[in-house]
Amino acid sequence: MAANRINTILLRYGEVFLKGNNRSFFESMLVRAIKKSLDGIEYKFIKERGRYFVEEFASDDAPEIISRLKKVFGLHSLSSALKVKSSIEEISQAAADISPKSGTFRVSVKRADKRFPLRSMDIAAQVGGYMLFQAPNLKVDLFNFDFELNIDLRDNGYSYLFYEKIICAGGLPAGTGGKAVLLLSGGIDSPVAAYQMAKRGLKIAAVHYHSYPYTSELALQKVLDIAAKLKPYIPDIEVYIVPFTQIQYAIHEHCPAEYMITIMRRFMMRIAERFARQNEALALITGESLGQVASQTIESISVTDSVVNMPVFRPLIGSDKEEIITTAKRIDTFDISIRPYEDCCTVFLPKNPVIRPKIKDAEHYESKLNISELIDEAFANIKQAEI
Amino acid sequence: MIYFDNAATTAASEKTASTLAYYAREKFFNPSARYRKGIEVKNDLESARRKLLILLRGEGNIIFTAGGTESDNLAMFGTRKRRGAEIIISAAEHSAIYASAMELKQQGYNILICPTDRAGRVDEAEFSRLVSINTALISILHINNETGAINDIGKLCHIAKSINPKVVFHSDGVQAVGKITVNLQAMGVDLYSISAHKIHGVKGAGALFVKKGVGLAPRLFGGGQEGGLRSSTENTGGIISLANAAEDCISNLTARTQRVAQIKEYLLGTLSQIDGFLPISDENSSYFILTFSLPKVRGEVMQHALEKRDMLIGTGSACSSGKAEKRIADALMLQDSYRDGIVRLSFSGENTLDEAKVFAEEFIKIYEELEKYGGK
Repeated sequence: MAANRINTILLRYGEVFLKGNNRSFFESMLVRAIKKSLDGIEYKFIKERGRYFVEEFASDDAPEIISRLKKVFGLHSLSSALKVKSSIEEISQAAADISPKSGTFRVSVKRADKRFPLRSMDIAAQVGGYMLFQAPNLKVDLFNFDFELNIDLRDNGYSYLFYEKIICAGGLPAGTGGKAVLLLSGGIDSPVAAYQMAKRGLKIAAVHYHSYPYTSELALQKVLDIAAKLKPYIPDIEVYIVPFTQIQYAIHEHCPAEYMITIMRRFMMRIAERFARQNEALALITGESLGQVASQTIESISVTDSVVNMPVFRPLIGSDKEEIITTAKRIDTFDISIRPYEDCCTVFLPKNPVIRPKIKDAEHYESKLNISELIDEAFANIKQAEI
Repeated sequence: MIYFDNAATTAASEKTASTLAYYAREKFFNPSARYRKGIEVKNDLESARRKLLILLRGEGNIIFTAGGTESDNLAMFGTRKRRGAEIIISAAEHSAIYASAMELKQQGYNILICPTDRAGRVDEAEFSRLVSINTALISILHINNETGAINDIGKLCHIAKSINPKVVFHSDGVQAVGKITVNLQAMGVDLYSISAHKIHGVKGAGALFVKKGVGLAPRLFGGGQEGGLRSSTENTGGIISLANAAEDCISNLTARTQRVAQIKEYLLGTLSQIDGFLPISDENSSYFILTFSLPKVRGEVMQHALEKRDMLIGTGSACSSGKAEKRIADALMLQDSYRDGIVRLSFSGENTLDEAKVFAEEFIKIYEELEKYGGK
């Protein structure tokens, strides 16, 4: 369809339908997310049963609107459409105008407006007939067609003509699944974990552990840049910076080097949990993938898990690195994640971290540390970052 | 703020700022225009060109570019050389030369890399062994941007030309102009790169000196500015402030150098008391750069810690980043424990001895604090 003829974007939502009594809540969250994503663009939003329409925008803005809406969780698909008055003459004329002039095609009609005098099959036949009359090189083929013209005859007196469905992000609208705290490192995995859990409707507050002066301003900027890339998908994402150096010093000083990472991870989990409880979040999210590195063996995970008392979501636990990278590239965080700045985990990195740590040992080594004091101190200095 | 990263860039001078504003708002006309106002701007450009040639004692032409990197690229790619010819560069060249050389290697040229000593200075004996009748182009930086080592370009150029009179000799003088006396005729170089923002000019302006009789082919095509060698409407404010900045720096070179030398001497004397301090800049290096390495704390970590106290410095080596840093550490033959501990302090005439005193005290305090934890 000629771009300048697009005057409507037709939106379909998916799972929201399934949610019975909660439907109005889910819908209101979805509408909010849609409107937020289109911030700064002029348009009119129309809500109808089973469909939303974005209309009255400048036709040059259509590609930008589509690209933004594709990232809104809760939307199933969209189509760029031409809206015309529901009369057989107008529909036929518009169909002939916007369609290719040669090739094979079919016309599919959905008639929601039962007052309309013609039935679906008859509308398809009449519109198709008119198209053939206007463009003799066209040929109808119901099964092997080059393009399919869809006509959506709504009960508002208008019909929408479109060709293809663009699949959107799917999932559930932002914020409908409650809130969780993400451990965001700046690496490849944690942004993907955030994306996947946000897809299930979670609102996300991210904590990032910063080891000044061992990690740089550029490392911090990297995390903020990642968060900015996640924003189209997770409009309400927040990032909090937790100073971590003093804790690392204490572990470095009092615990054996091979337990450095294990105990560090336990501190990270404790801080994240406490932060979650203070901020009405009910779960933690990490980007761990089983066996990827020493701290992600089943033993390591059970040792780090044992310090928290809330669900820890690890959406990537069963994913290969390649799969994670594919998603990271799709959501555009990959290129930022591979910037070469250190994160706090690479500071004081022992040559041989323990691969199968034991809870008993970790607890023993930690007994030399004043855990609550260290956490209090880190907590007192948490800062929210602007994205 | 104490700013000791002047080899990265300098603050533009007030004069630069006002020159830029003047050529942006008032004398903004296109120097190629045929009306009087355009011709006046063209005349200003030509005076800037003449001024630079006189200041640097060059006999030939100045091609204005967008900076040191572009000048280096024009020199490397613009010189005529037969396919497969040999090109000599030093192991410690700036990335603009090194990466250009690697590209020329891809294109089928034979790149020979001349080793340096531990201070980053070209090994002259090795250099003379590398030059041959097959050498088409040589590029040796005048002052090493990482270590401040000064290459004796006049001597190297003489060696090269006496072995092969046809060789084209280029030198990157970005860290040299305004920091030591530069006499292009005395050195005998064919091509010489200059940048404005290292001497209180502005980013985005530079020049390539081309000795009379040296052939060069353009890299940018278009309106035919700069004698057809560098098409693009001239960055008039940048170019004119480059000439002014060079004039200011060169005219008070002695006084400025003395002040900066005091700063360097003080810092070297004080910081060398740190246990394990390894000087990289040697006694013959530029007064404007002091590079050293520390065994127990990474240079990058010192940089971050100093930044919190409003003191900005450069580092030679970010352990995980930057291929260039690894290449330079290799060229300087640094032992493992010193490879990522490189710190580069670089000065300008605007720095003071008082700043150096405050800095040294703070630096030592931070180092002593951090070395306890290692973290390397």
